[in-house]
Amino acid sequence: MPDTVIGFVLLGIVMLVVLGIVFAIASRGGPATAAAKPPRGVHMPGPSFLPVVMSVAAALLGAGLAFRGQDQLANPFLAIPGLLVLVAGVVAWVRAANHEWRDTEHGSHDDGAAH
Amino acid sequence: MATTTLEPRAGTYRRSWVIEWLTTVDHKKIGILYIVNSFLFFFAAGILALVIRTELAVPGLQIVDQATYNQAFTMHGTIMLFLFIIPALSGFGNYIVPLMLGAPDMAFPRINALSFWLLPLGGLLIFSGYLFGGAAAEGWTGYAPLTGQEYGTTPGTDLWIIGLTLVGTASILGAVNFIATIFKMRAPGMTLFRMPIFVWTVLVTAVLILLATPVLAAGLIALFIDRNYGGSFFDPTVGGNPILWQHIFWFFGHPEVYIVILPAMGVVSEILPVFSRKPLFGYKAFVFATIAIGLLSFSVWAHHMFTTGEVFLPFFAFMTALIAVPTGVKMFNWLATLWRGKLMLATPMLFALGFVSMFLIGGLSGVMLSSPPIDFHVQDTYFVVAHLHYVFFGGSVFGVFAATYYWFPKMTGRKLNEPLGKVHFWIHFIGFNLAFFPMHQLGLDGMPRRISDYSPDAGWTLLNFVSTIGAFMVAVSIIPFLINVIATFINGEPAGDDPWEGNTLEWATTSPPPPYNFDRLPPIHSERPLFFLTHGHGHAAERPADLEETEEEDVEHRGGLV
Amino acid sequence: MTSRTMQAHPAGEHEAAAVMQHGQSGMPTALVGMLLFIASEVMFFAGLFATYFNARASVGAGQWGPPEGAHELDLPLAAVLTAILVASSFTMQFGVWAIRRGDTGKLKLWTGITLALGALFLAGQLYDYSELGFGISDGVFGTTFYTLTGFHGAHVFGGTVGLTIVLARAMRGQFSARNHVAVEAVSMYWHFVDVVWIGVFSTIYLLR
Repeated sequence: MPDTVIGFVLLGIVMLVVLGIVFAIASRGGPATAAAKPPRGVHMPGPSFLPVVMSVAAALLGAGLAFRGQDQLANPFLAIPGLLVLVAGVVAWVRAANHEWRDTEHGSHDDGAAH
Repeated sequence: MATTTLEPRAGTYRRSWVIEWLTTVDHKKIGILYIVNSFLFFFAAGILALVIRTELAVPGLQIVDQATYNQAFTMHGTIMLFLFIIPALSGFGNYIVPLMLGAPDMAFPRINALSFWLLPLGGLLIFSGYLFGGAAAEGWTGYAPLTGQEYGTTPGTDLWIIGLTLVGTASILGAVNFIATIFKMRAPGMTLFRMPIFVWTVLVTAVLILLATPVLAAGLIALFIDRNYGGSFFDPTVGGNPILWQHIFWFFGHPEVYIVILPAMGVVSEILPVFSRKPLFGYKAFVFATIAIGLLSFSVWAHHMFTTGEVFLPFFAFMTALIAVPTGVKMFNWLATLWRGKLMLATPMLFALGFVSMFLIGGLSGVMLSSPPIDFHVQDTYFVVAHLHYVFFGGSVFGVFAATYYWFPKMTGRKLNEPLGKVHFWIHFIGFNLAFFPMHQLGLDGMPRRISDYSPDAGWTLLNFVSTIGAFMVAVSIIPFLINVIATFINGEPAGDDPWEGNTLEWATTSPPPPYNFDRLPPIHSERPLFFLTHGHGHAAERPADLEETEEEDVEHRGGLV
Repeated sequence: MTSRTMQAHPAGEHEAAAVMQHGQSGMPTALVGMLLFIASEVMFFAGLFATYFNARASVGAGQWGPPEGAHELDLPLAAVLTAILVASSFTMQFGVWAIRRGDTGKLKLWTGITLALGALFLAGQLYDYSELGFGISDGVFGTTFYTLTGFHGAHVFGGTVGLTIVLARAMRGQFSARNHVAVEAVSMYWHFVDVVWIGVFSTIYLLR
């Protein structure tokens, strides 16, 4: 019992502090700016959801291994979604990287606006 | 739809800041995410420390039972090391290293983001043990057979293993990124021996992470197999060897402590010259000392295992004493930097000086521990706890705070309040020493570590009580720090590009820097490019001899392209 | 201060771009990354080898082997698998040389053959496992055997995934003599996997 309480209290404190700091940072705001452009010819990926998605997938897969039943390799309800998302994420990542690489290589002779 | 921004977006608009921070691949934002995340884990692990110290203040089990106590010190150690100190220093590295190199970003920005996001998730997995019957409780060192199938029955240990594996993977990816960035993305004119010392320490740290963490991964996987799939790695009843775990763990564990301290040493090496108005004494000696520490760190692991009876004592004792030499070289260089300098005792400098003095004490107790006769007497006592806190806390954590006060203006464009910073420092410094110095004596008096209670007849009560007071002082000192940070965010004094009159390239751009960091780079002919830009190429003696080496294109002609 | 646009200077742009893209000298950044990643993987296998050798020393080299009642290790099969994997390294390298010459056709051919050989290796490994008669939970030999060969097999599988991606991209004509970093990276990884297998084979099957 005391363990669970400590866990929830810690979690609650962490969430409150996170929200507080995020609020403080976010409320500073600032003028809207154009999204930045990397120096010409340089391959810099743009913003992407994939890192968050892949991390969540890895965590699901890991949780599946940690919460396995007696004779299982892993808990299927956690591990299978995790694995699927992981694979999908890898595919998406490779495709995105591929796309950007080609754009950089073929786009370096113009002003980078062709896409 | 591609996720590239190779073209400017039509018009200007504000993205939702949640999406912006969730999807960013900008090293500066990622650095801030690392640092904020680290401090959150710092507070969580700090609360656990208060639980420990409250319990130990007087004899008798007052607030927790033994199982909860075991979880507390396990989680405290694991979180502090893996989820606070290393990520915090990594976060500063992420933010500052590309700037110091004159680069637009890290070599692999999206992998950089992945490295970050694995951390809160790994940490969540580790902590979630509390929700499922008990977190890991076998010490941050997770010794077999306590962690094995027979004794470590809580799911918390499996979550600890999995969470650490994720965190370790994040570290390794980050190390690949740092090394590739440092070797491939330096601005023209910045040869390796013109890089700031902070970059050098990050480089060596990254190499250590790259080579040591995978061994931990192997060990964690082996432990998981033992616990879950009937493996026999560490189980002596089926032919395994518990000491094997210690070898694998400490082969990683020792480079780990240098991973923890080297970047902090780098931070201090940046701050001392700026706040002494003098160049760092012995730049090249410093670089070679750092490399030597990195190499030697792989040869000393068994000094954590002297008392197992399975270790060749003379070799490991010798190598451990040897590693004190390059560390001593650094200490000497720092002191020589301060000597006859015009010292400006602002808060970053106070924490840097605190680092030098506290790490000295921790280093000395370490040299004592390198001697097997002494170690046999104090192994697994509070003497070791004192040593590790003087180097981790007096060393790395002071380094983290020094970095925070030093680079906060660059990252936010606002200067932290000086008087509040000094209040923070002094309460912190006094509380820290009050908390941990008595532990040396407690260890010599025989108090073992990792015990939840002790006899009132042992004679340990007074020092424990004093130590607890110190711990609470440290906790209290965080209050002015938090007030300072939050108030400065809301309404702080603008800092300008270069509030400290720094020497290195991060001060050659705005605070905070624009998205791809630099519009123009100053010419780079030394390890203090900004100093020479501001002060001109004054004394001939100050120009480094390798100036003739540089025949690369003048940076000015490149305009904005680094 | 708001972000300012970069001043574009036509002279030296492409040299500068080349510098940024490929770093101050030779090796493309992506290959540096792969090399570093391989270094970390080498250390991972070093850890696993350490467990193998430690267990072997603990048990005693004379008594080291599969548990009572299980088959002896299948050396001939393992030797065949070794030959397959070594051959696949050669075919991989032929593919790399082909694309360096700009020969996309040969790249596809050699990559396909390498992929087939890799798949054959994996199939052979699984067949070996099914014939062995002891498992990961049958004593410390079983544990170290399956962990070492199993993780190696997982890395081979990762390599085949990489090969598949390279093959797919080659078939869509995305590689040229000037631009084929992915092929070089995957080939580096594949050679690494082969070298590790030579270590595994020598240790488990030859050294015993």
